Amino acid sequence: MTCVREDLTALLDGALPPARREAVNRHLEGCGACRAERDRLAATLAALSRLPEPPEPSPGFDARLAARIARERRPGLLSRLAGLRWTVAAPAAGLAAAAVVATVAIRERRLADEAVAANLEFLADYEIAASLGDVETAEDAAVVLALDQLAR
Amino acid sequence: MVPDPDAALMLAFQRGDPSAFRTLYQRHARAMVAFCHHFVRDSARAEELAQDVFVKLYRAGHRYTPRARFKTFLYRVAANHCLNEVRRGEYGAREREDRDGPSDPDRIASPAPSPEEAAEGAALERAVRGLLARLPEKQRAALVLCRFEGMSYEEIAQVLETTVPAVKSLVHRATVTAAEALAPGGAARMEEALP
Repeated sequence: MTCVREDLTALLDGALPPARREAVNRHLEGCGACRAERDRLAATLAALSRLPEPPEPSPGFDARLAARIARERRPGLLSRLAGLRWTVAAPAAGLAAAAVVATVAIRERRLADEAVAANLEFLADYEIAASLGDVETAEDAAVVLALDQLAR
Repeated sequence: MVPDPDAALMLAFQRGDPSAFRTLYQRHARAMVAFCHHFVRDSARAEELAQDVFVKLYRAGHRYTPRARFKTFLYRVAANHCLNEVRRGEYGAREREDRDGPSDPDRIASPAPSPEEAAEGAALERAVRGLLARLPEKQRAALVLCRFEGMSYEEIAQVLETTVPAVKSLVHRATVTAAEALAPGGAARMEEALP
């Protein structure tokens, strides 16, 4: 047997079949270099076993996970958008972005400009969607605001 | 196949029992966070990744078929998600920082006269971070599953969807690299060898 080095980690892990394990151990009895390599790898495994445990999840972890799962129960705007083809999403993104801008303009300045007039139909759809509860989280709102970026 | 209570829970969830899914993530969420932490070494991101894994499970619930143990299935999803995450390159800078940072593995291998356990643990952690950053992704996954998750070669082969001999090779090469990284002066030698 000329080389057992490829088997040394598996030997230390107890993952060699019995016959192979016996053969490797016989080789080690007569080969100082391979014994030294086995000892080096054994010391490495011992060092790795002393690695501190990863930190515990933060206190809000369970609540955040439960909230994400709860959001999955009701398909929202986010998941619907994920299913859109980009060819549909791109023009929709532009319209939605315009609609958001238009909404702000209406509510804050109450100015009816040409952009609003051009997008009134979509704006109506948007507000209907919002009234149905599709846009009720900050995440959904962020998606709407970032639609132009998604479409690029 | 040995009865797998987790797979039974997943099937119960598939039949419409949301409490079954809640039990699943209560059982495995902490282990998932720890597993993801080994890949990204950032607590907040590890939590997000672990949550992503459960959301993926939730979405895929209706397609679930218990072909393997649930734990194998879960870690396969998690390993793929984490590997995709590190492939995105978002962690490149952090990994370089870990490689180039103040890691001093000599402190680990040297028989320091009276090292404080906390300091030794911190040094070891930095050294292992640097090691994981250097390992090819399959070796990294195999090392994490073997050394930190305690999986057998057979289980790792199922998670990584490869053969047991391939896992044996991956784990051995990763362990040899770890031996070099944790040896006195090892970190410096490895830096010189990097392109």
